[in-house]
Amino acid sequence: MSVLALSVAMPIFVVALSWLFPERELWAHFSTVLLPNLISATAVLLTGVGLGVTLLGTILAYLVVMVEFPGRRWLEWALFLPFAIPAYVLAFVYLGVFDYSGYVQVWMREVLGLPGFDIRTRSWAVILTFVLVFYPYVYMMVRASFKRQKINIIEASQLLGASPLRVFFNISLPMARPAVAAGLLVTLMETLADFGVVSLFNFDTFTTAIYSAWGDFRSIEVAAQLASLLVLAAFFLIYFEKKARGQAKYYSTDVSNKKPYHALGIVGWLISLFVFGVFMLSFAMPMLQLIIWGWTSISEEWSAKYVDLIVSTSVLTVSAALITISIATILALPSCCKKNNLWLKGVISMATLGYALPGSIMAVGLLYGINQISAISVYFGAQSINHIIFGSIALLLFAYVSRFMAIGYSSIKASAEQIKPMFTQSAHLLGASRLRLIWQVYLPMMMPGILAGSLLIAVDVMKELPATYLLRPFGWDTLAVQVYELSAEGLFERAAVPALIMVLFGAVLMLIFQLLDKKSSKNL
Amino acid sequence: MNIKTQGVLVLAVLVLAVTSIGTAQAKSEGLVTIYSSRKEHLIKPLFESFTKDTGIKVMYLTGKGGALIERLKLEGKNTKADMFMTVDAGNLWYAATQGLFQAVQTQTLESNIPSHLRDPKGLWTGLSVRARTIVYSTERVNPADLSTYENLADAKWANRLCLRTSKKIYTKSLVASMIYHHGKNKAGDIISGWVNNLAATPNAKDSHVMNAIVSGQCDVGLVNTYYFARLIAKRPNVPLRLFWANQDTTGVHVNVSGAGVTKYAPNAKGAIKLLEWLSSAKAQAIYASLNKEYPANQNIAEDEVVSSWGSFKQDKMNLTQAGVLQADAVKLMQTKDYR
Amino acid sequence: MLLVNHLSIVYQTTQVLNKFDLSLATGDIFALTGDSGSGKSSALRFIAGLDEVQSGQVVLDGNQLSNNGVHNIAPELRKIGMVFQDYALFPHMNVKKNIAFGIHHLSNSEQQARVEELLLMIGLEGIEQKYPHQLSGGEQQRIALARALAPSPKLLLLDEPFSSLDKNHQEQLVLQVRDILKKTNVTSILVTHDKHEATIFADKVGVIENKQLTIN
Ligand SMILES: Nc1ncnc2c1ncn2[C@@H]1O[C@H](COP(=O)(O)OP(=O)(O)O)[C@@H](O)[C@H]1O
Ligand SMILES: [Mg+2]
Repeated sequence: MSVLALSVAMPIFVVALSWLFPERELWAHFSTVLLPNLISATAVLLTGVGLGVTLLGTILAYLVVMVEFPGRRWLEWALFLPFAIPAYVLAFVYLGVFDYSGYVQVWMREVLGLPGFDIRTRSWAVILTFVLVFYPYVYMMVRASFKRQKINIIEASQLLGASPLRVFFNISLPMARPAVAAGLLVTLMETLADFGVVSLFNFDTFTTAIYSAWGDFRSIEVAAQLASLLVLAAFFLIYFEKKARGQAKYYSTDVSNKKPYHALGIVGWLISLFVFGVFMLSFAMPMLQLIIWGWTSISEEWSAKYVDLIVSTSVLTVSAALITISIATILALPSCCKKNNLWLKGVISMATLGYALPGSIMAVGLLYGINQISAISVYFGAQSINHIIFGSIALLLFAYVSRFMAIGYSSIKASAEQIKPMFTQSAHLLGASRLRLIWQVYLPMMMPGILAGSLLIAVDVMKELPATYLLRPFGWDTLAVQVYELSAEGLFERAAVPALIMVLFGAVLMLIFQLLDKKSSKNL
Repeated sequence: MNIKTQGVLVLAVLVLAVTSIGTAQAKSEGLVTIYSSRKEHLIKPLFESFTKDTGIKVMYLTGKGGALIERLKLEGKNTKADMFMTVDAGNLWYAATQGLFQAVQTQTLESNIPSHLRDPKGLWTGLSVRARTIVYSTERVNPADLSTYENLADAKWANRLCLRTSKKIYTKSLVASMIYHHGKNKAGDIISGWVNNLAATPNAKDSHVMNAIVSGQCDVGLVNTYYFARLIAKRPNVPLRLFWANQDTTGVHVNVSGAGVTKYAPNAKGAIKLLEWLSSAKAQAIYASLNKEYPANQNIAEDEVVSSWGSFKQDKMNLTQAGVLQADAVKLMQTKDYR
Repeated sequence: MLLVNHLSIVYQTTQVLNKFDLSLATGDIFALTGDSGSGKSSALRFIAGLDEVQSGQVVLDGNQLSNNGVHNIAPELRKIGMVFQDYALFPHMNVKKNIAFGIHHLSNSEQQARVEELLLMIGLEGIEQKYPHQLSGGEQQRIALARALAPSPKLLLLDEPFSSLDKNHQEQLVLQVRDILKKTNVTSILVTHDKHEATIFADKVGVIENKQLTIN
């Protein structure tokens, strides 16, 4: 198991080793000119995005799980949909709609006579964009956690006179804390690693410095050194998340469909309006724009090539999700770290750090790592393995596993922690072997986490660009690559076609997930 | 067999299948393999036409320039790539300094492409020329007020200028040319002037710069001409026009897209044939019409739209300078807070 | 004074209760028995205002809480306490916070005094700082009772609170709880399927049979 975790963590080690090659002069330039601003900008971004996704994701999850309001049933699922749109596509649409030359401001200037403004000068617009793009992470994880809260705990507090707000803040939220922390962690790591959204807003973050070191100063070493600082930041995030979870283990396997609150009349409609508003802003409005663009260019853009794109995207998505989730499940099994094995725990944390690395840095780190292995094997008289491994599907899948392990692991871990020791003990007493225990007790109970993790990974792999772009074998273009190539050349109308197919693809994945989720929660 | 064992089996089969598809690749003499940072939709029609003419197949992998260079370096002698194709002379120069290209000097190339668009040693060849110049609002700017890139730093353009981000290679090369012509100090002053005149945060794309001018956020900007061509194709009456910068001084800043044959090309012969074909009249015409760039082969007529903008004097700075000075240019922009 | 009139419960197509009527004077302790699945919990949950039903009226001290099976007043405003079968203690709060949950409008010192008073009454002084998972079943049960009593409810509902405790302990605890309820003079309804438990605990015992309530 150590070996498994260690190999997933390889890019991290490669990045850390870069410190063996210091470059004083470039560091001097970076640390005086760039870093002070970038670090504070990154801190502002993380704080804003963190607060935003926590608030929005948790409130939405609470409303959808605990309150009955008009339209709740379909909104509960519709709120996942924004997740299927790549972040930079959403950012692009938002800029087109809300920036100075966008419809909204043109209307404000021409009809209302208000002055126009540049939404990119301050950090709020980019923060809002990230919040609307990433809230599904928190929403998804917290929703699962709310669903497992015992309804009678909430009823008990109601009968003790607690108002709905007090129940939310004093009962539901504290009990969902591990899930909030997990969702927040994933969001912050994604934000740290993002390049697409911040470049569209021209908002400089730490990642900007990494790309500058590599792209402008051709120093892959300094880039890796900077990236290792990012990893360090991620390490602290993980540490704080662990602390936030603390000893809190709220065992419960209840899944109840009864809603403690029924919002009737005007309140119900106001809630609907709010939730629907979020859905409109984060999904329907961008989709509308994409559909308008796609409509005008479908005849020009559509070709037989799309069959290939869809096939490669599906194969990569499905296989990467299956492999990642299998490894994550093994690492997250309650029996895995029973004996407070610090070494193993450490290595597993390492394995989940890959998520904070910008995709292309991680991909290059992978190539360097393999190159080192080759160099060693050549030294011992064997052959270089570069040409076999570079550009192979195996390497690309490995990159996905390495990058998305964190999502799988944290979502499975959250549901593994719900397994009472009682179940393990009683299964042992009934004479179950270890294997049977895993198959028949752990896996079914971890299933909600496994499913949620698979969905998140699958959609993330589908959207992944930088690693795919660098590592894919010949002929393995994906939909995300197509979206990027067209939009990078300013052909947004045509880029809308593959983007729409991606959303459709994501929606299908979610539909499958929804069916499986219903099935698995029935059995509990 | 229970569900879980089935799951494991399916997984195993999938991985195997996927791995075998990935490695089963035809190796053939009649095949040229290319790494390209030029986007697929721009190169595919060219390669298809080449295959039709010569029977030689072309296999390509697109990617970002820097990442592909890194990959080529690491693959070393074992690379499958016969040719590396990219945009911007800075990238071509860097790939050359990393020893990724082999020298190719053939009569065909020398007669088709003028020498200032080729590497002196023949390591790479420019295949299309792109010009970066001033675009202005016909509603709010009198073209008589326009003259040079340097002039846009003048206080009369305060709050009227839109620029593309300093992270884009086109900006870096332009600033490299400023350093080349004026030295670091004066170039630094020009950049400071630009930054002071900005009406908005630098834009991520040339198309955003033009949108900003149309909507009145600013009055002038700098763009590559083919982006302007795309805009007027969609909106023929857009109140924007191009202005050829620096006609009385250094000339319009130009750059190239180009390619070189890789040092360890498995099929160098095929790659050279492709390079020559790309410089030919037929291919150059495709280049010109597909992306509205200027053909590198001077015997070829420009696209109709492009020629309607008139001819202009080019900056004759040797293009390798864009590469040599790129790091200085970036440092300067970062110091002057050009984001 | 509690009045329950014409309570009828239908789930999908099966009728569980038909015209259940009950009236209790202040301080009365009533036990509701019947086979498992006969609708005891459902009746309690309706009185508490948790579930709505086909028909039925609840009047407590002259206030009409529910009518025609629909609730006029939300559970949090009814001043009805409830002890659940699995106690439903808040796992992330210690004993003190659990008990004080319903009286957070009081000042800190008043809360402290009330918590101490209740702990003394249930015979569990000094465990304020413990967490629910550190307590035995009987202790949890008494904390749940103290929590429900803290806001001085007008009516206390107990849904099989003794059923998961061991037999020896059970009878002693049943009597102890009865004492506490008598001391505080709170109207109470105990749901149980155990006839013996019902008779030693309550002043009046009712049985649900054939969807109808009969009071002995
Ligand atoms: N929410 C519900 N939906 C459908 N049937 C229910 C529901 N709650 C209880 N029932 C059914 O109503 C009957 C009475 O349940 P309950 O009041 O819990 O009985 P008791 O507490 O007397 O054991 C049972 O047959 C139960 O299955
Ligand atoms: Mg019951």
